[in-house]
Amino acid sequence: MDSIDPAMGIRPRFTNIGVDTGGTFTDLVLIDDRGVIRTAKSFSTPEAREKGVFDVLGRAATALNTSVDDILARTDIFAHGTTASTNALIQRRGARVGVLFTAGFEDTMTIARGPIGRVGGLPQQVAMDFIHTEPPAPLVPRSMVRGVSERIGSDGSVVVPLNENALCDSIESLIAGGAESLAVCLLWAFRNPVHEQRITAICAEIAPGIPVSLSHQVAPKMGEFERAVTTVINAYIGPLTEAYIGDLDRGLSSAGLANPIQVITSNGGAARAANIGRQAVSIVNSGPVGGLVAARFLGDQLGHDKIITADMGGTSFDVGLIDGDTLEEDPRPYLDQGLPVTLPAVKLVTIGAGGGSIAWTDGYRLHVGPQSAGADPGPAAYGRGGTEPTVTDALLVCGIVDPENFFGGAYKLDPALSARAIAERIAQPLGLDLQEAAAGILEIVNARMANLIRKVSIESGHDPGAFALYAYGGATGAHCAEFARHLGIGRLVLPYAGPVFSALGVAIADIVYSHSRSEPLSLTGDPADASEAVNRHFAVLRDAASDDMRAAGIDPASCTFRHRIEMRYRGQMNEVTLDWPKPQFAAGDAGVLRGLFESYYEKRFGAGTTRPETPLELISFRVEATHPTRRPVLAALDNGAIAAAGEKYRPVYIRGTGFVEAAIVDFETLRVGEVYHGPSVIERNTTTIWLPPGTSATMDVYGNIFIVPEAES
Amino acid sequence: MIDPITFEVVKHRLWQINDEQGLAIKTISASPIVVEGNDYNVGLFTENAELVTAGIGSLVHVTTMGDAVASVIGGAGEIQAGDAWMLNDPFLGALHQNDVVVASPLMRDGRVFMWIANVLHHPDVGGIDEGSFCINARTLDDDPPRFFMKILDRGELVAESERIFVSNSRLPDAVALDLRAQIGAINVATARLNDLLDDRGEDIVRDVMHQSIDLAERQVRDFIRDIPDGSWTGEAWMDGVRVGDERICRVALKLTCDGDTLRFDYTGSSDQVDAAVNSTISATVAGSAVPLYSFLCQGDIDWNDGLKRCIDVFAPEGTVVNATYPAPVSISTVGFRWLVTVAATQAVARMFNSTDKHRDRACPSWNSSSNCNNIFAMLPDGRRTGSLLSDHRGSGAAGRSFADGFDHAGTVTSYASSLGNVEGAEWKLPVMYLYRRQLADSAGAGEYRGGVTCEVALTPYGVDELTLKLTNTAGTEQTNAHGIDGGYPGAGSQSFMVRNADIDAHLTQSARLLKQTDLRGDLTWLPSKADEVIRKGDIYGFWAAGGGGFRDPLRRVPAKVAEDVRSGLVSTAEARRSYGVVLDDDGSADEDATQALRDQRRAEKRVNGRKHAAVPGPACTACGATGGVVQSRYPLCHAGPWIARRYNGDGPNFELQETSCSACGALVDVSEVLKKTAETGATQ
Repeated sequence: MDSIDPAMGIRPRFTNIGVDTGGTFTDLVLIDDRGVIRTAKSFSTPEAREKGVFDVLGRAATALNTSVDDILARTDIFAHGTTASTNALIQRRGARVGVLFTAGFEDTMTIARGPIGRVGGLPQQVAMDFIHTEPPAPLVPRSMVRGVSERIGSDGSVVVPLNENALCDSIESLIAGGAESLAVCLLWAFRNPVHEQRITAICAEIAPGIPVSLSHQVAPKMGEFERAVTTVINAYIGPLTEAYIGDLDRGLSSAGLANPIQVITSNGGAARAANIGRQAVSIVNSGPVGGLVAARFLGDQLGHDKIITADMGGTSFDVGLIDGDTLEEDPRPYLDQGLPVTLPAVKLVTIGAGGGSIAWTDGYRLHVGPQSAGADPGPAAYGRGGTEPTVTDALLVCGIVDPENFFGGAYKLDPALSARAIAERIAQPLGLDLQEAAAGILEIVNARMANLIRKVSIESGHDPGAFALYAYGGATGAHCAEFARHLGIGRLVLPYAGPVFSALGVAIADIVYSHSRSEPLSLTGDPADASEAVNRHFAVLRDAASDDMRAAGIDPASCTFRHRIEMRYRGQMNEVTLDWPKPQFAAGDAGVLRGLFESYYEKRFGAGTTRPETPLELISFRVEATHPTRRPVLAALDNGAIAAAGEKYRPVYIRGTGFVEAAIVDFETLRVGEVYHGPSVIERNTTTIWLPPGTSATMDVYGNIFIVPEAES
Repeated sequence: MIDPITFEVVKHRLWQINDEQGLAIKTISASPIVVEGNDYNVGLFTENAELVTAGIGSLVHVTTMGDAVASVIGGAGEIQAGDAWMLNDPFLGALHQNDVVVASPLMRDGRVFMWIANVLHHPDVGGIDEGSFCINARTLDDDPPRFFMKILDRGELVAESERIFVSNSRLPDAVALDLRAQIGAINVATARLNDLLDDRGEDIVRDVMHQSIDLAERQVRDFIRDIPDGSWTGEAWMDGVRVGDERICRVALKLTCDGDTLRFDYTGSSDQVDAAVNSTISATVAGSAVPLYSFLCQGDIDWNDGLKRCIDVFAPEGTVVNATYPAPVSISTVGFRWLVTVAATQAVARMFNSTDKHRDRACPSWNSSSNCNNIFAMLPDGRRTGSLLSDHRGSGAAGRSFADGFDHAGTVTSYASSLGNVEGAEWKLPVMYLYRRQLADSAGAGEYRGGVTCEVALTPYGVDELTLKLTNTAGTEQTNAHGIDGGYPGAGSQSFMVRNADIDAHLTQSARLLKQTDLRGDLTWLPSKADEVIRKGDIYGFWAAGGGGFRDPLRRVPAKVAEDVRSGLVSTAEARRSYGVVLDDDGSADEDATQALRDQRRAEKRVNGRKHAAVPGPACTACGATGGVVQSRYPLCHAGPWIARRYNGDGPNFELQETSCSACGALVDVSEVLKKTAETGATQ
């Protein structure tokens, strides 16, 4: 009886641990077999990432009055989210990569489709100043690129056979040039991989031990630039990712963890550690994805199947969308400036709007962001020399944030500095009074956030009003009731686990393996041929995903398989991805598919946008295998013994109304089921929640807060 | 007056609604010209057709969409909610016939509250040449038809109008989808604007719309007022106006900054021609505004009609820059409208370069020729296919006052106009590329060099022949790829055909070593407008212009030249010839030898100076001397190896003029000038 959890009185097992390493904090969520969630936070340790993971485990162990080894010995699933690969890419600290292109196309990465390689992925406002947009640093120096004499035609036939002698010389010269990792990106290899496969075999002979990333495996999609970017990034961060995850896995295993760790990827699934080198590119930018996985999980419990997530931190505001089981995806995300990949990722749309966003005027207009004061010097109120007013300063001037109680009192803020910054930089130049200027800053930033949410939902054909909005992230609570109101969203949820929401998602992410192939197919010919082809592609992809599952020690029979088709009108440039609801495609199904396609179109773009005469073209096929991770059943909070709080009020300024007396409520004193009316401020140690007049909040038994508009009287 | 907060909130919402309109177009469009080339735009307009907010598509459309909407208002007759008109008449505001404008009124309480419009380049709208850049047209009768039709009637597609439009195209499926993209965009914007108006009310939205335009005007005027008054010139030449007519024509520009107004005066430009390259006045105004949106407004000042109020464009009637009915104009946007932008970009760069404050905005050339290649073919299954290749967007931009120009920069008319993937082109068209590569030595030399361009070569694949309609703005002789302050011009935009080539031999060798002259077969350099058949066994290749250099290349840091040589962007020979840089065995710059060679070069210039009389000039930017400048002339190829290939580097009409400081020998200007013997179509 070395470690008894005082709350439980018995030794629980831990079904899920999620550790999410972010830039500043490493968060941990630990779920036991009773569904009790515990959390811990510690500083990240970028110089030795494993240490940060053990540090946060140590904090959890201390809180549970036990040892790390004891926790790990009692843990079933240990899942990890890491920014290691993202940072290696962004800071250009990856491997020295040698690249093989089809001869004649050695400059594919350098030409970079022109401006795509320079302004692609930049915020629009930045890109519009195009004379000042510098191209990003290349991943591979020109001296590490070789042409391979070979050619596959657009129909997949071999036009020029592979010249193996010349190839061997090229590989040897790349190795001599210091290549630690190789990437092979041949034209049309996704239609006929014979030359890429042969190159792997040759590399295994003459360059054993050097990892090889092949474009037809990493990104089997049409479009050589994006395929090359995906493949080269994989080669670039693969060795480093594999080393880090391998070390961590061994470290945890020797500390007593029974099962191999799993790592969350940018598609919202998780991968087993052993496979990580082959799909390192899929970890890049997986950081914020955990929040969406957690939102979907919570939505299951709360009965919400359409959810928009909103996460506002110090510098940015991220929005994601969940429709049923599906986390909305971005088919061609940018992993960094100028680096688009053809690896579908969970879509998160970002703008530079956070607590640190700077309000400024050019003498004509009032702008908020995208520049941020960051943590240093931070908002003017920090008193660290920041003289520019930020959103946080505006919250202080309006009285929404308590200067004595910011982050539970961890930071002492000086509202006089906020007032001075806003008065001098905004109010005086624009002829506004102080409070109007401060409230104006909030209104602008709230409207921008509402616009982003509107954009994300409308772009995928949805009315935001039909969604529940899940708000998390330290700065969201002060704004979300306002922007939910702008959007006509009636269901706003601030999850109890909000402060560690990504780590919660990491803890419960399913194992997912996805395979796709680009095999353009026109539906104009014999329907039997088409159905045979579709079924063949699906079968190949299902087999590949099943093999991955088996390799990860999972029985494919325990998995669900999802079939998707990317299609378009013949000649179009962009595809629509549709779920095909069954594993087979019958000869008569072409009409069903057209029906799905056209109804999507009409829904999104309105009447008159479909054209029955134009044939459909199926561009690529995808099968996603999912092995569900055991989902915990959350336990209710023990909310019985809360002392009644004394009544406390503070004036809060509302634009167009003036100061009103708002009730100040401590989160820890909230009672389940009680209705709290705005205007009021709910203060939690990591966040401040603002309830404007005309809204009210309740808390459920799990500690989630619901904010709703009150019926107008 | 609306308070600044409400203004900001509503303005941003309008901007975003319009952005949604653009997204709908890009999603539905069947055209690489739209999706990759960004040749479309979307706008919201006041009830009087004043542009409130434009999308991030092509900048030339920003200015013309309003002209087209005004024509719709004038010709529409009775207007009901859900109606929309389509128009592609260049004499009613369209840039050229491919650019179809769709405009729809937004009605509130039975009255027109505002207009929604968009424009999109359709891949073929008829006319005598495939792709509708009518390089064989002599009159407007040879050009594509001009439409003005109601396309939506109270929300319903007008089937007859669609039929007329679609059946006049060689690519009916493509234009039918593109038209749907335009209608879908209108649908999206209409629904969202009605939401906004329900939410905020008409009065506020109307006020914000008008104030947005007023604000942009105020910002532009303040900016211009801050620039000292003065005048600067710009110039561009066209070498060949249609198939079989290689006339030399000129765009002449004098830009004057006068208080808070910029005047563009095109007096001296050539008379309009019996070829489809002419520009209408509406297109010329649009072309003039492009470098102002790009380098003055950038992301700070809204792209709307505020700018248009601050510029004053004069072009004499009957010239290539103000062609009057019934001139053929189907090539306009890549014809003289393009060269208007080239001349304006040069003049605006000179204006910015004359100030210390705004020198960082000076960029004298950016894709100075649009080397457009429409390829059409009959597929084995009997279908016709055709498309404009995208590779000309791999062109370079000029060097800047603080850094090199961008390699493969796209166009100055649209920051996001990109190259398509080779695989995308090979999927759409029966072609096989032999290479797409950076063209070494294509960047204009300078202290900050221009950007390099890329070169492609292709051959038919799976068919016996391809129809090529080559519409290269200019560049087979002079380049128009201007440098500034002594920087050299970049490579000229050029095309070549190799007949009866040994394709297999070319495919199996390492293409990196290939020179066009090494291509086994019969090599011909093509004129700027050409109508050719590419047969099995032929190779067709081209590139667009490189960017010009910024300042004397002898001032370039030698290590940067060495780095360019290592990257394959500059040859060892050009490192020595253009930059005066001597490399040692490991490829590093030999500082001493370089210094000696550069001193010798400058001394040579001063020797030249004794041969020519010094002419007065401003103070030298290198040594500050005011003793005047000296001038000398060379064949065009003195600026680089990829100029005037058709003429082995020395064309019949143009030569290079260098102007140097008579004291220190530093270059202060390099220009392409007419030879004294040349004949032109220019107005004298």
